[in-house]
Amino acid sequence: MADLPAPLRVSPLIRFGRWSFLAAGIAWGAIRHRSLSKKENALREIEAKQKPIRDAKLAAEKKRLAKEELDYLARQAGAPPEP
Amino acid sequence: MAKSLSSLLSKGPVVAKGVVDFATPRFNLFLKYARVELVPPTPADIPQIRSGIQKLLTGFRTGKWKEASVKEAWLNSLVTAEVVLWFFIGECIGKRSIVGYHV
Repeated sequence: MADLPAPLRVSPLIRFGRWSFLAAGIAWGAIRHRSLSKKENALREIEAKQKPIRDAKLAAEKKRLAKEELDYLARQAGAPPEP
Repeated sequence: MAKSLSSLLSKGPVVAKGVVDFATPRFNLFLKYARVELVPPTPADIPQIRSGIQKLLTGFRTGKWKEASVKEAWLNSLVTAEVVLWFFIGECIGKRSIVGYHV
């Protein structure tokens, strides 16, 4: 650690390239993050509106399948299925 | 537990001083190199930057890049890769996450 070389004079073109790419990257990350957040928020709103309808549909489907299963079991047992 | 917590809190300033004493010479060493190597280009460097870009473009056009030795080409590729790498580091900073966009 005692005899480190002297600082290297980096060419200004390389320094300019590094700093400009860094700034461009930060800008690009921020822009893309904002655009993606907007899209995701819009999607979330739509899904929130759809949620009660979708939940109702899923519950009805589940109920129908459960009833079919019970009717099949009842027929197997010989008893008539419930209405 | 209260005793260990109070002893930890009383050691806080001592630990902080130890950290500062450890970090200061190393930070100064970092600054010594950073002031020469990492400083952003000043407006006085603009003609040099412009001529550098011109040299790159003419070299690319005349096909001089085909006549570079493998060692030179390898070094140039490394430097280019490092410069482009800073774009992705900037993107990570801009999106405030390392791996993905947390929307």
